[in-house]
Amino acid sequence: MSAASDQQVVAWAKQGHEAAFRELVRRYERPVFSLLYRMVRDRALAEDLAQETFIKVLNGIASYRPEFKFSSWIFKIANNAAIDHLRRKSLDTLSLDGAPGAETPDQIRATSLQLGDRAESPLDEVQNRELGTAIERAIARLRPEYRSCILLRHVEGYSYEEIAESLELPLGTVKTYIHRARNELRGYLDDRRD
Amino acid sequence: MTDISLHLNTDEIELWAQGLLPAAQAIHLADCSLCRAEADRERKVILELVQLPKFEPRAGFADRVMAQVKIPTPSENWKA
Repeated sequence: MSAASDQQVVAWAKQGHEAAFRELVRRYERPVFSLLYRMVRDRALAEDLAQETFIKVLNGIASYRPEFKFSSWIFKIANNAAIDHLRRKSLDTLSLDGAPGAETPDQIRATSLQLGDRAESPLDEVQNRELGTAIERAIARLRPEYRSCILLRHVEGYSYEEIAESLELPLGTVKTYIHRARNELRGYLDDRRD
Repeated sequence: MTDISLHLNTDEIELWAQGLLPAAQAIHLADCSLCRAEADRERKVILELVQLPKFEPRAGFADRVMAQVKIPTPSENWKA
């Protein structure tokens, strides 16, 4: 089965063959997880989002339209999951000074954000090692829209047209995002070298 | 004297970084220090990106996914 095209494997999956579902997971678990991990920079969260992506895709396999590439479909769902998460996160207004209703010193202390009081867990160490290089930190500074485009182009090797299809963006927008992302990365990396 | 109308655009620089630049622009690149400097900087970034590792989820990821997937009833024409 490993030599079959994605379209063929999807056709087998639609016929109800578990091995075909597993083959799709095998083919895409690393690229989907890598994209999500670099988008959200949290291993456990990236794995939750990857799992959510695969469950959505595989349970919706009957609605898959073969005129689109399977990779475009799965990356679209993964990217949407990451962007939704990042938007929700940016809306969370966590106060350093405690919850709005906190009035007494005890209430303020109990609800305030404590910085620097958490020991680094083994998972944090892994993340710091994996995402701590200059290029990874530079990628993290990009706008999420730029980040997904540049990762799909240069890490996953997809064409501009495939990225436009995946992210449902006009081709010109994808090109602009990728060029701007590369310029920003060059700037960050030049700063590092200075 | 370098013809500035031939300066490479970003698409062409990306093609060059991939070894796909057409001969006419490649000749210009060889002669134009401005384009070469720009292309070298761009190539460094592209190289750093393409060399990034792929990450793997924890072992057992496929099993955790499959535990939540509803598989339709197999049809008769399975030929895998």
